[in-house]
Order: sequence, then structure tokens, then C-alpha cells
Amino acid sequence: MLDIRRISTNRWWNKKKNWGLFIFLSFLFFVRISKGSLYKDFYYLISKPFWPGQYQREVLTKSVEQEFLIRLKQLEKDNKRLREILSLQRLSDSESISANVISRKTGSFWRQIILNKGSKDGVEIGSFVVGPGGLLGRVDNTSLFTSTVRLLTSPESKVGVWVERIQMHGLLVGSGNDYPKVIFYNKDIDIKVGDFVLSSPASTLLPPNIPIGIIQSVDEELKAKKTANILLLGKPQAIDWVQILKVDI
Amino acid sequence: MGKYFKKKISLISFLFIPIVYFWDPNWLEFLGVQPYWPLFWLLPWSMIYGSFDGLIIGIFLGLILDSLSLDTSFTQIPGLLLCGIWFGKLNVSNNVFVGHFRFGLICSISSFFCGSLFFFQALIKYWSHDNIFLYLPSIKNIFAQVFITGLLAPLICSLLFRLFQKSKGRDKLISFIDK
Repeated sequence: MLDIRRISTNRWWNKKKNWGLFIFLSFLFFVRISKGSLYKDFYYLISKPFWPGQYQREVLTKSVEQEFLIRLKQLEKDNKRLREILSLQRLSDSESISANVISRKTGSFWRQIILNKGSKDGVEIGSFVVGPGGLLGRVDNTSLFTSTVRLLTSPESKVGVWVERIQMHGLLVGSGNDYPKVIFYNKDIDIKVGDFVLSSPASTLLPPNIPIGIIQSVDEELKAKKTANILLLGKPQAIDWVQILKVDI
Repeated sequence: MGKYFKKKISLISFLFIPIVYFWDPNWLEFLGVQPYWPLFWLLPWSMIYGSFDGLIIGIFLGLILDSLSLDTSFTQIPGLLLCGIWFGKLNVSNNVFVGHFRFGLICSISSFFCGSLFFFQALIKYWSHDNIFLYLPSIKNIFAQVFITGLLAPLICSLLFRLFQKSKGRDKLISFIDK
């Protein structure tokens, strides 16, 4: 007689636990591949009712005044000297994008802010971000609804700058605290406390002469270089609204 | 539905760790530094489920948090992995006061460990450059994080520990090894 063997229900694909683990691993793989865009977009949705609407007035007003002063001085000089010369970079013809800061990590090693505008709003990787006071950083990653900005204070941030007074170029390096450093590869340059630091015209990442900060102290201990601590004009820990600008290179 | 959430509370709370990571409330910071949020979840979970599960979940947690940060050269996985193993070997104290104190002390030590590991990664990466000393001022981040993490740990960890303990018996799906 036929003896139909009962199919075993003890195989690995019959166990609920294994499927649960598989689904969990797939979820983790998706999060890794998408660089957390699912979480960022979800956070965008749930944080919407709590977006701030008011500036922290005193800090911002002071930064704005300093920024305008520096810009005015620099524009007058540039207007005289550079009227007949074309700039290396131009700002894009399209308007700047206003964005709200919905998440910020400004106190630890991971120096970044997340804005509520993403690829669907036209934000591109490489766009630079300015706030009241001056340059804050560059967009490093975008999702559909959000964009993540690497701040100038991040250890992986390196930006070409120059000192407006002596017209000497240097490299602004984030050091994981609130005072990034500028490295000048010339020990004999005459930099002083109080000099303004702006984005360099020779930089291929940023447009020229965006205010960045003021030299706070000068360190001369290195052999062939001079470094200076910078007090940033833009305060990412206090700013709630920023402008995202594209650069045509 | 409520029973389902009670059974899966530890897994559901795991999914919310990145949300807290983004939220980073600035009224809970010390010298501009936030507590190290993943440890508050990892400690009670590993104490209940053991070292092996703590290791696995530490890797998963590190993978997710690395995806959310821009610093692609540095990773949080080694710190969280080793913390998961260590937390799994710890026993629960019968004394409530001592238990709370232990949560704070353990989280402080592990926050120091994770922060130092991350800092050493930066030092190793920039070892060949003259500007290695530029990163020394960021040591303040480590100690500020140790303080604020240790301060908040007794409250948060004990709450999560009680929640996870209640849900443990109801659910067999979460543990990675059969006990």
C-alpha cells in the first residue's frame, strides 16, 4: 500500500524565528545601503509639528551685523579691483532654497545638521549652506525630504580660505570642537588676532569671499606652518533657518 | 494590539534609537555635548539577553548609526560591539540604590571607552600629518559625554530594564540563541 510520508514541518524555512531574523537583517541592509534615508525622512515627518519658528535673537543679530560689516568692506575692495576680471565660480541663476534645521549634532565628534529640504526640492550634494553670520558647511548627503550638512567644525571638513587683510591663502580644518583651525603653509606670514577669514577665490568648492570667521589666536609652534584658531561667525547651534545655494563650477 | 507591543517592546524601542539620535535635545546637553544615547538601550538589553545577543545587537546598532552620520572614515561598531559583550556578563544587583548607581557607573565607563575609540580612529587616520595635535581639544567631548551619560543612565536604564524584563518572558523571537 502506498505509505505517504508526512512532509516534515521542522525545516528551517518553517520556523517563524528564522523568517523574523531574515526580515530584520534585510531591514538593516536596506538602512545601510540607503544611508539612513528612511529614518531621516521618517524623522522629517514626525518632527514637523515641532519645527522652530523663532530665532535666538541676540546671537543671530550680532552675527548678522558682523557678517554685513565684513561683506561691505570686501565688496568695496572687490568692486574696485576685480570689476574687469571674471570670477572662477558663479552662483547659480536659480534662487536659493530656504531650509529649516530639524536636527543638529554640534557638540560631539559628529558635526552635522539635517535640513528639511531634500532632493525633491532641488538640493544637490555639494551645495553650500549659509546662515546668519556666514558659511556653515556643505551638503554631503540628500534623501527625498532631507539633506545632511557637514559643518565646518567636522574633523573631515577641509575648505580653502584666505585672510582678507593680507590676501594669504590657507586651509580651514575642523577639529571636532567649536574652533576650527586655519593652517597657513608659510611661517612668515603676518596674521593677527581679529583678521577676517573668508572663503578663498582659489577654492573650487565654494564661491569666493563668503564670511567664515575671525582669527582668535595664533599658534606658532609648528615648524613650517602657522595655525590659527577661528571663531566662526555662523553659529549652527543657534541657527534655525539657513539658505542652501548652488555653485556653478 | 497592546499585548503585541508589550511583547515586542524591546525591538520597537530599538527602531527608535536613530530617532532619538536625530532629535538630540539641546536642553539635555553638557558643554554642548549630548549623552551617548545607544548605551542607554544596549545596557539593559544585553544584561537581560546575554553577551552573544549583546554582541550581535551592538553590531546592528553600530551599522545603523554609522549610516546616519557623514563621517565615513570612522565607525561606532567596535565600541558598541565590545560594550554589548561586556554588558551581557553583568549581573543585576538586588539593592535598588546600588543597581541605579551601577547603571550610571557602567554607562560612564562605556561612554569613555566608545568616545576614546572614536577619537583614536581620528588620530590614526591623521597620524602621518603634522596637524594631529589639532584634534586634541576635542578630548573635552569625551569627558563631557561621560558626565552627562552617567548622569542620565540610572533613570533611563532602570526604566528600560524593567520594561524589557517584563517583555522577555512573553517573546521568544528576539533572542539570537536558543536558551
